[in-house]
Amino acid sequence: MAMNYNAKDEVDGGPPCAPGGTAKNRRPDNTAFKQQRLPAWQPILTAGTVLPTFFIIGLIFIPIGIGIFVTSNNIREIEIDYTGTDPSSPCNKCLSPNVTPCICTINFTLEQSFEGNVFMYYGLSNFYQNHRRYVKSRDDSQLNGDPSALLNPSKECEPYRRNEDKPIAPCGAIANSMFNDTLDLFLVGNESDPTPIHLERKGIAWWTDKNVKFRNPPGADIPLEERFKGTTKPVNWVKPVYRLDPDEDNSGFINEDFIVWMRTAALPTFRKLYRLIERKTDLHPTLPAGRYYLNITYNYPVHSFDGRKRMILSTISWMGGKNPFLGIAYIAIGSISFLLGVVLLVINHKYRNSSNTADITI
Amino acid sequence: MVKEDETFPCDLIFLSSSRVDGTCHVTTASLDGESSHKTHYAVQDTKGFRTEEDIDSLHATIECEQPQPDLYRFVGRINVYSDLNDPVVRPLGSENLLLRGATLKNTEKIFGVAIYTGMETKMALNYQSKSQKRSAVEKSMNVFLIVYLCILISKALINTVMKYVWQSKPFQDEPWYNQKTEAERQRNLLLRAFTDFLAFMVLFNYIIPVSMYVTVEMQKFLGSYFITWDEEMFDEATGEGPLVNTSDLNEELGQVEYVFTDKTGTLTENNMEFKECCVEGHVYVPHAICNGEAAIDMIDASPGAGGREREELFFRAICLCHTIQVKDDDEVDGPRKSPDSGKRCAYISSSPDEVALVEGIQRLGFRYLRLKDNYMELQNRDSDIERFELLEILSFDSVRRRMSVIVRSATGEIYLFCKGADSSIFPRVIEGKVDQIRSRVERNAVEGLRTLCVAYKRLIQEEYEGIYKLLQAAKVALQDRERKLAEAYEQIEKDLILLGATAVEDRLQEKAADTVEALQKAGVKVWVLTGDKVETAAAACYACKLFRRNTQLLEVTTKRLEEQSLHDVLFELSKTILHCSASLTRDNFSGLSADMQDYGLIIDGAALSLIMKPREDGSSSNYRQLFLDICRNCSAVLCCRMAPLQKAQIVKLIKFSKEHPITLAIGDGANDVSMILEAHVGIGIIGKEGRQAARNSDYAIPKFKHLKKMLLVHGHFYYIRISELVQYFFYKNVCFIFPQFLYQFFCGFSQQTLYDTAYLTLYNISFTSLPILLYSLMEQHVTMDTLKRDPALYRDIAKNALLRWRVFIYWTFLGVFDALVFFFGAYFMFENTTVTSNGQIVTTNTHMVFGNWTFGTLVFTVMVFTVTLKLALDTHYWTWINHFVIWGSLLFYVVFSLLWGGVIWPFLSYQRMYYVFIQMLSSGPAWLAIVLLVAVSLLPDVLKKVLCRQLWPSATERVQRSSSRRAPADAAPSPDRPLLTDPAPRPRRE
Repeated sequence: MAMNYNAKDEVDGGPPCAPGGTAKNRRPDNTAFKQQRLPAWQPILTAGTVLPTFFIIGLIFIPIGIGIFVTSNNIREIEIDYTGTDPSSPCNKCLSPNVTPCICTINFTLEQSFEGNVFMYYGLSNFYQNHRRYVKSRDDSQLNGDPSALLNPSKECEPYRRNEDKPIAPCGAIANSMFNDTLDLFLVGNESDPTPIHLERKGIAWWTDKNVKFRNPPGADIPLEERFKGTTKPVNWVKPVYRLDPDEDNSGFINEDFIVWMRTAALPTFRKLYRLIERKTDLHPTLPAGRYYLNITYNYPVHSFDGRKRMILSTISWMGGKNPFLGIAYIAIGSISFLLGVVLLVINHKYRNSSNTADITI
Repeated sequence: MVKEDETFPCDLIFLSSSRVDGTCHVTTASLDGESSHKTHYAVQDTKGFRTEEDIDSLHATIECEQPQPDLYRFVGRINVYSDLNDPVVRPLGSENLLLRGATLKNTEKIFGVAIYTGMETKMALNYQSKSQKRSAVEKSMNVFLIVYLCILISKALINTVMKYVWQSKPFQDEPWYNQKTEAERQRNLLLRAFTDFLAFMVLFNYIIPVSMYVTVEMQKFLGSYFITWDEEMFDEATGEGPLVNTSDLNEELGQVEYVFTDKTGTLTENNMEFKECCVEGHVYVPHAICNGEAAIDMIDASPGAGGREREELFFRAICLCHTIQVKDDDEVDGPRKSPDSGKRCAYISSSPDEVALVEGIQRLGFRYLRLKDNYMELQNRDSDIERFELLEILSFDSVRRRMSVIVRSATGEIYLFCKGADSSIFPRVIEGKVDQIRSRVERNAVEGLRTLCVAYKRLIQEEYEGIYKLLQAAKVALQDRERKLAEAYEQIEKDLILLGATAVEDRLQEKAADTVEALQKAGVKVWVLTGDKVETAAAACYACKLFRRNTQLLEVTTKRLEEQSLHDVLFELSKTILHCSASLTRDNFSGLSADMQDYGLIIDGAALSLIMKPREDGSSSNYRQLFLDICRNCSAVLCCRMAPLQKAQIVKLIKFSKEHPITLAIGDGANDVSMILEAHVGIGIIGKEGRQAARNSDYAIPKFKHLKKMLLVHGHFYYIRISELVQYFFYKNVCFIFPQFLYQFFCGFSQQTLYDTAYLTLYNISFTSLPILLYSLMEQHVTMDTLKRDPALYRDIAKNALLRWRVFIYWTFLGVFDALVFFFGAYFMFENTTVTSNGQIVTTNTHMVFGNWTFGTLVFTVMVFTVTLKLALDTHYWTWINHFVIWGSLLFYVVFSLLWGGVIWPFLSYQRMYYVFIQMLSSGPAWLAIVLLVAVSLLPDVLKKVLCRQLWPSATERVQRSSSRRAPADAAPSPDRPLLTDPAPRPRRE
């Protein structure tokens, strides 16, 4: 640890000269930096300087908080659990693996109409997408369309790397466990004939992911199937990756459902964007109030790990989705700092008096 | 063979030189910094050798001691065999030894034989011998580190245990979507648990701030330059600035509780001036008239004829009894020059007293000319040259406190002249006007003059031969030479006839009193340890305000011990003191502490050795304890008549006393070296008594007064800086790692990192390192002038105040609190899935969900901002550099993140950070969350600061407050202070 050094030589900054003759050189420079006298601003945190800050924070935070809170309350959101653990639930029958394919239907009512664009999410609970083994089980160069990685995926993908001597595309645990329930929404309306609601599959992933980070293997003119030649589908998948969507722009690695799934969630309870319901005209609400039913093709097993599955419909505001926490927190912090400001004011006042008297006695 | 201006490659025994008298001149500037030329002597029997053939013909053996680091000591002997006679045995001493690293001067060439080479040379031994000193800050740093190590291990343990509890459900250990490989499944459970434990250790290892050690070393190294750069500590007269020999102890300068100072050369100038001499009761005062005729004031009536004889003898004694060299530039052509050309010679000696005496005597008519061929030449009042053959020198040492020479005059009479401290001379005197001289000596001592007594003895030839044999036997002894010599000296220097006494004034150093006073105000106890007499030392202490007029002096001296037993004295003193301190506490309550009695203790070496001596029944600690109690309650302690080792003993006694106070020793001479090495901080004065002290010290300063700035300003700053550095480092690593720990509870204890690898690596290296390093170099919580003006501020940081457990725990809890805020803030944002991007920048109308990397990035961003802003809140001294570095490093973080996420990096196997940061910034709630969380994290610290300042302000804070109030008034007239802008050279001090 010690740094014993010959200070004499260091000070001279050059070869050690003959003593006596160096007296002049050794005189330290009279610069502001070396004498530690650089001009400086010397702020001190006193009650006087902090008081206004507290009040200002209070005054700014409380309105922001109220704003956020109001906006957040205006957001319409409905959440439907369709796991089917409850025996009365229509999806209860799907828990047994024998029924394939299993389709169940859940009825629900919107009390208020949903205006503007409506977002449809699926939510999973107790699903550890953030488990280390899971998070790293992917090959980004394969997903970026690298031909060599396509046929020889990264070791990180084990044990989902090869199947029957063929490389898996896309490899890894994340891809293998892709969410594969199909959700369809129908408005029951007044007539007995329900109208299906158009669910937009595109535009749910990050633009950069879809256009830069994820790419299909090269070969623009060749059919997609040819480009994935020599690979096999992930074990749990029904269809190979190039059949994910009939639209070639949304199939293969650039399928948006797939991209969304590949962005691993931070917490074991998460929701992911499933579909968009776009606003058609200004006159009609996107989802008018009324009775709806959700048609579920139940494929995805969560019962084995105590998981839950939900479908969420939500509108958004300028600041995102429904968000009671942020608004409340802002209001709370704003009020606390305002209160502290008041307390400090009192203390400051008292202290000033006492210090004055103290000055007099001394 | 070594030629002129060459350096000796190894330690050599000097055989012969090209000079006729077998001497050579050597400068040891690179060894101990003394630039004066020293004369070394060739071995008697070989000095005639001139050529290499001569040397070849030499047949001799050399015996010498084991290599040891003392540069000024060497013991050995040479046996020269010749065909005709019996072997001749010659003693070898340090005067025959040429040290590696020294340079040959003024001598054409020399022949020598190597005795120590390589790592055995004295130079090499000296480089190793420096002991390691650790500062209190470093010690507490290490303790904190152990605490953190425990936290780390317990964290890893908790997580490992939790992991296996959690995994006990198979669907959690290995759900269908996340299966293990075969190899993983087959691994042994214990092995797996152990690897998991290690993986957690690796994950959390950042909590041990490795970078702190690097930063601390850098801070110390760079920071120590501020001492060497300090213009105020540069001494114009000598052209010397402060030296920093170790950068380890910078902050220790701010922790000093006891200062042990030498008197001579430290408190005083060591610039001797001959004041008066007293021969047989007649007092002579030379006037400071240069080159005039001997102007002597004889205070008494002129002495009789016998007195006249004594007087001349006295002057001759002073002229002869010394080890002065005459520096004569034209030494080579000395013979051509007439000795009485009136040219003033410069005298060089290791003892300034001698120079002062010889120069003083010169004014009284006797001039020492030179030493040539073992004859000392001096010029008497009648301008005749007298030659004395120098037979022996019984050199000075600090134990005997005297020296002697034996000379043979031209008439063949042999004299022994002895010069030394009165206490060592008087017991050996059998004749002379002892009482008169003693009273004079005591009077002089009270006036603060340094006194020396001179005595002589006339020897007859037979006596001399006895002495010669005695000395020779002692000199050739290989073992215990020191002791045998001392015994021989003891026998020789007795039955003396007292001639007279001299008095030399040693003025106080400028501002010594001011410095001592400031130190005492700063709560530092100043002890003076000196070899001087009680009276002289006490006078100096009064002069430098160590003792004030109302100080009640307590004495434990030999004189007093003759009357009472040590036991009684100590108990009596402690009773007085304890009574006083009891009443003192009462006084404090009644607010009358102003007129409290302070005590000064005087103790001398003999009494001290009695106290330190272990008693037969083993209850020695009793006296020591009692003595310590007394000392602690005295405001000032003066220890006189100290041998060097006793000085170190005192330092040690205090150092290992109950409270383990930090000690500082300051001295200038070789006799202070042991004390300097013993104390926590050793400071050497680059003074006149050679450079030994400066060489062995941790810091060297040119003058005692510089100690004030060294401790009160530099020490204070260094301490403030480094303590903040240490605490901040622990804090920021808690902030960094605690969220990581919390995250394990949400990712199945799978060691998933919260942050991206680049962030993990760069957090301590670049995002948060520079601001704190700069803080630790530049921070000045109050201005330098304030610190100098108000020494009491030093008490605020005494006893390691800023690194106490309370402070450390506060910082750690602050770190934990902030970490909780970061993590759960982000957690609640994500749990409700509110942090979503409406992606206005990238595409319109999308509404996407963020993943785990965004979560980590959000936490990290909040953290970098909080941690940096926390430092900004602590900074009291904002120069443009601080602004640049603090805002710069925040900007760097943002730019780096944009870049890191903005490009697909081909060398990375994963692209997990791609666009994460940019997407996060495009989301409104993320911004709101960052602002909110930073505010929340900083709030408690600001609150604590303001409240503490308001309700329980420390002295420092009061000063800051008052200076900030005064600042507007000050600032107006001096927008650019002359100190900063004035390019003109400042007037030189005379």
